Amino acid sequence: MSTAAATSPLRAIELLDGVVRPTKRDESWRYAPHRQLDALTFGPSVAADLPAELDKQIPALDGPRVVIVNGVVDRDRSDFATPHGLHVSSLADAAESQPGLTDRHVDGAELVDAFTAYNLAYATDGAVIVVDAAVDVATPIHVVDVTVPGSATNTSSTGVVIQVGAGSSATVVETRLGAGTELGGSNVRTTIVLGDDAILEHIVVQDLPANQVHLSRVEALQGERSTLRTRSFNLGASYGRLAYHVELAGAGAHAELSGLFFGAGEQTLDQQITVVHRAKDCTSRQLFRGVLDDASTGVFNGGIDVCPGADGTDAEQSNDNLLLSNRAEVNTQPRLEILADEVACKHGATVGQLDDTALYYLRTRGINAEEARRLLINGFADVVVDDVSIETLRNWITRRLGHDHD
Amino acid sequence: MLHVENLTAAIGDKQILKGLDLDVGSGEVHALMGPNGSGKSTFAHALAGRDGYEIGGTVTLDGADLLEMSPEARAAAGIFMGFQYPVEIPGVNNMYFLRTALNSVRRARGETEIGARDFLAVAKEAMELVEMKQDFLDRAVNAGFSGGEKKRNEILQMAVMQPRLAVLDETDSGLDIDALRIIAGGVNALRGPERSMIVITHYQRLLDYITPDFVHVLVDGRIVQSGDRTLALHLENHGYADYVDTDLDADPRAAPERPLAGASS
Repeated sequence: MSTAAATSPLRAIELLDGVVRPTKRDESWRYAPHRQLDALTFGPSVAADLPAELDKQIPALDGPRVVIVNGVVDRDRSDFATPHGLHVSSLADAAESQPGLTDRHVDGAELVDAFTAYNLAYATDGAVIVVDAAVDVATPIHVVDVTVPGSATNTSSTGVVIQVGAGSSATVVETRLGAGTELGGSNVRTTIVLGDDAILEHIVVQDLPANQVHLSRVEALQGERSTLRTRSFNLGASYGRLAYHVELAGAGAHAELSGLFFGAGEQTLDQQITVVHRAKDCTSRQLFRGVLDDASTGVFNGGIDVCPGADGTDAEQSNDNLLLSNRAEVNTQPRLEILADEVACKHGATVGQLDDTALYYLRTRGINAEEARRLLINGFADVVVDDVSIETLRNWITRRLGHDHD
Repeated sequence: MLHVENLTAAIGDKQILKGLDLDVGSGEVHALMGPNGSGKSTFAHALAGRDGYEIGGTVTLDGADLLEMSPEARAAAGIFMGFQYPVEIPGVNNMYFLRTALNSVRRARGETEIGARDFLAVAKEAMELVEMKQDFLDRAVNAGFSGGEKKRNEILQMAVMQPRLAVLDETDSGLDIDALRIIAGGVNALRGPERSMIVITHYQRLLDYITPDFVHVLVDGRIVQSGDRTLALHLENHGYADYVDTDLDADPRAAPERPLAGASS
């Protein structure tokens, strides 16, 4: 398969031949709203304008920026200027000029479900970020993906490729938004490759409107002693699904995945995590927190796979949840498969409600019941929010969560 | 200032306070002592407004009916309770918490809110009082604090809130002698003609540092004896045996004569 072929209608037909959408019987799609998923339509991307109201909503980060609307890069809104050693381009351009770059993203992709196939078939544009070896990129690189349902198909398809060279470091923020009141959504697939000793902080902020669906899949391959820190904020959409598949392929690699899902109304916020320990002496941490109000549903399906030979693995996973309503629910499931020796694996999950004693304590300090509640909820969520090193983004998230530290 | 009359408190069928009477005047420090289970903490929580009790009787602060108020309204009215077991609140920054608390009561009283910079000056002064370092404010409220740090944080909050009536529930429990000295120093510095205190303690030790104007003995939900600070010394030597050895079904006020009379109550 050649990369450029991804653009051809023939390739799309080939990929989608016989594709079947997941059902409730598929374990990792068990809690998804299938009627809504079945209403999504996919097809070749058609450029659209960035809706004016979204301009204000996008976190104002300094540095290079790629804005993608309905799966097509909006060049006027993007900023491709980069410091030495960093290359940012559109996926369409990169596939044309440097096909080798996107090979792994296209040919290496595993067809895990129908939506991956749709993405492979139709995500012909997006962002490509390449950091040369031994470069520390100080400013964050911002990829903004926006869906505006309404044209021939209602769900946009976008691809993102991130490659960090040996000994380099970078921060990439992916903001996923949407506009309009039409049913629809976005389907974004990100491929990350970290060279030996590379460091990447990768942040996904999902805040689509309440009538849309967001499907995200991040696949990462880590070299020796590399460090990947992912932070995910699953906030918007009627169904927000953030899937991560991280392969610790080089010895001594470290992956740290943290995330917050913060649901209300009838939202379903789904985290599907798999960390695969392939090499010796790798460490991984998964720390996910859910806050669920009204009749919302949270899903945490967290896997740790320790392959034969991955001795000296040190893996931990935790999922703590706060239910704010008796109609809210959370489904948390650890999946551990350990086929190596000398492995330290820990996992734990909790589901709780607001602590009455803590509420009372705050109220005896003059803080009214509503604000006391908010303080406790945000205190719980901030454990994840505080992991975000970019202050502008951290403030954006705290504002979105309905509180402001100053 | 504080008037408590025939205060009763029950959880379900269990009657804990059985008709407690107490008057606290402006600027007075009252020590409330008693054996475990006598209702000391329940009394503190009844004043602070904890849910879950069935409350009867009358409690007024400067004439206002406290029992009708929410905990936050009581704080605005000037009640501060120092907890025996201060609650850990992970994720909530101590400085932010303190400023939110102070501004909440200021708002409730119709006063202007205090800005971040001015608040820092208030907080610094309070921190010096309890010999706390700056990083103390940057940590989450009580999370991972030692027992002594938690109690010092209570006094720090009291210094910031400047209450009309402080109810300190076993503030001395679990403290070593240095922490006890610091906390007592903080409490003494906060004494004033406009501020009253109820110091609840099991041991007389705290009263070596905080000299009360009055001492009351609480047994089985009632104040069975009141006196001056010498009553505390007597309890230190004799324990509560005189009170609890009597048949608790009988009226505890019929307990044997104490050598220390003449206390106003």
